[in-house]
Amino acid sequence: MRITISLVGVVIFIFFLAAIPFSLTISNGDLALSIQSIYDLIQQYIGGLFNGESFTYQEGKDRILNIFTDLPSYFFTSFTYLLIAGFLSVCIGMLVSAWHSKSKKEWLKDIIGFFGTIPDFIFVLFLQLSVVFVYQTTGLKIAKIASRSTDENALLLPLITLTIVPTIYLIRTLSEKTYDVLTEDYILTAKAKGLRKGYVFIHHVVRNVLPFLKADIHKVLAIMMSNLFIVEYLFNIRGITANLFDGTLYQYNLVVNTLFSLLLLYLLLYWCIRLLIFILERVFAHD
Amino acid sequence: MTNWRLWFGMISTGLILLIAIFGTALAPYEKDFMEPSGYYYNSDDDFGFYSSPYPPSKEHLLGTDEWGYDILTLLLYGAKYTIFVGIGVSLLRIIIGGSLGMWFGLSGQVEKKSSSIFSLLGSIPAFLIVYFLLIGITINSALSTMELVILQSFLMILVGFPGVYSAVYSKTGELKKELYITATKALGAGKFRIMWKHILPHLKGTLLVMFVKEIILVLTLIGQLGIFNLFLGGTILRLGGPPVYISISRDWAGLIGQWRSFVYDYQWILYFPLLAFIILLFSFYMLSRGIELKQKSTLQKYPHI
Repeated sequence: MRITISLVGVVIFIFFLAAIPFSLTISNGDLALSIQSIYDLIQQYIGGLFNGESFTYQEGKDRILNIFTDLPSYFFTSFTYLLIAGFLSVCIGMLVSAWHSKSKKEWLKDIIGFFGTIPDFIFVLFLQLSVVFVYQTTGLKIAKIASRSTDENALLLPLITLTIVPTIYLIRTLSEKTYDVLTEDYILTAKAKGLRKGYVFIHHVVRNVLPFLKADIHKVLAIMMSNLFIVEYLFNIRGITANLFDGTLYQYNLVVNTLFSLLLLYLLLYWCIRLLIFILERVFAHD
Repeated sequence: MTNWRLWFGMISTGLILLIAIFGTALAPYEKDFMEPSGYYYNSDDDFGFYSSPYPPSKEHLLGTDEWGYDILTLLLYGAKYTIFVGIGVSLLRIIIGGSLGMWFGLSGQVEKKSSSIFSLLGSIPAFLIVYFLLIGITINSALSTMELVILQSFLMILVGFPGVYSAVYSKTGELKKELYITATKALGAGKFRIMWKHILPHLKGTLLVMFVKEIILVLTLIGQLGIFNLFLGGTILRLGGPPVYISISRDWAGLIGQWRSFVYDYQWILYFPLLAFIILLFSFYMLSRGIELKQKSTLQKYPHI
């Protein structure tokens, strides 16, 4: 029930958001929001749902294309990138935070924390600059710094960027939680019983940290979605987000459909990561 | 042990504030100065031409951009926009979100499960919302630079303060359970007095750290918008040939955005604004770490294994 209400809420929000660039105008130095044009756009879209017009978009001057022929492949590209990055960051995050939680070295926390504050676009630009620098000094081509066509997308650098930002977020939050778990009394009991350190970690610490990870998925996904825009834009990857910024023509249909597919992407990823955590629970927290 | 992070953070943030205030006076060139291109002829063997972009040299410490503008000058002119908007927006976010959070945290029911509408909104990042609101009015805008900066700041406050609100709300909800709050209530203290005399002193440290972290978030948001050509203070779009986007206010994120394609050649044009932006983030980060460590040393638990 709750999920239905929130889905409806987000759908309405998307309709409004996509209409704003058309209806927010400056006339005689004053900002004006025209409710009428928002209403017209939404009505037009809903009317177009029945005759299929809402599922077409214009490319160039006069080519009208159907969304269902192109969008799925873009969707799949974005989904693959995010899925790999999501799985990697959950696994790396869990592993590193177990080790990092007990580290007394404040300078290490400084470095990890600072990496966490660097915005994604700076990562991307620095990765690109350094690959070019290495190439110009040594002649080594380490990685592609941008995609040239949809057939050969840049892989390594986008994945690094997409992985590193959520991973650092996870390391920071999970290591805090791990630290809290380690101060609990049941850990002291386990230690008093003479259980080995590794055993305590696998059977008591990990299973008590997993619920926090589950609660944090939405935050991690939000970080990853906002990274996706920057990464696809700066690495020139033809993914789902490119529809929003491509071309000079702002098309209401296209934008609404893209935002809907972003929502779908989000939900799909959410369930995939839930599945991963479910598997982790089977491994670590089975009774 | 002295808290060198705090000192480092305070000193570097102070320097950055000085740059923001006096940047215009310190700039080595006028804002509109362009290093001219031209040719030289000394003898039959020694001739040629010189044209911008000029690499870093004694005349232009950080080099010039593709039209011959001195990069150091542009950075010094733009600093005030980036820094003051960053600080101002996050201060207002903290004040609005914090006071609302404390007020409703005191009156609201504790531990209401957060509705998932906000989590589903995670599929639409904050910068995208601001992007849609600004795309029609920022590029070749009819508004003046100052009006646009105020409008953009307002939008950034709007998308950011709910985060502060919910954090303060939950913290207040926890504090509310303490016995001394019940005692003050029994003594007849009003809601405002509890907020001012009991909740705020407790949250002061948290709010301070949150404020510095919020500055970093705002700077990130400005930067992300800059990547998509929506610059603080307005964008000039020149068409006719490949489209060229130019930042009017020369704010740092805007400079990064407008020069982001200088990856293959003339890298200094992109490199120095990036470096300036990172130094800015780094000093605020060090400040937040310093404050955090100072608070942490008083309330610490130790692990058993």
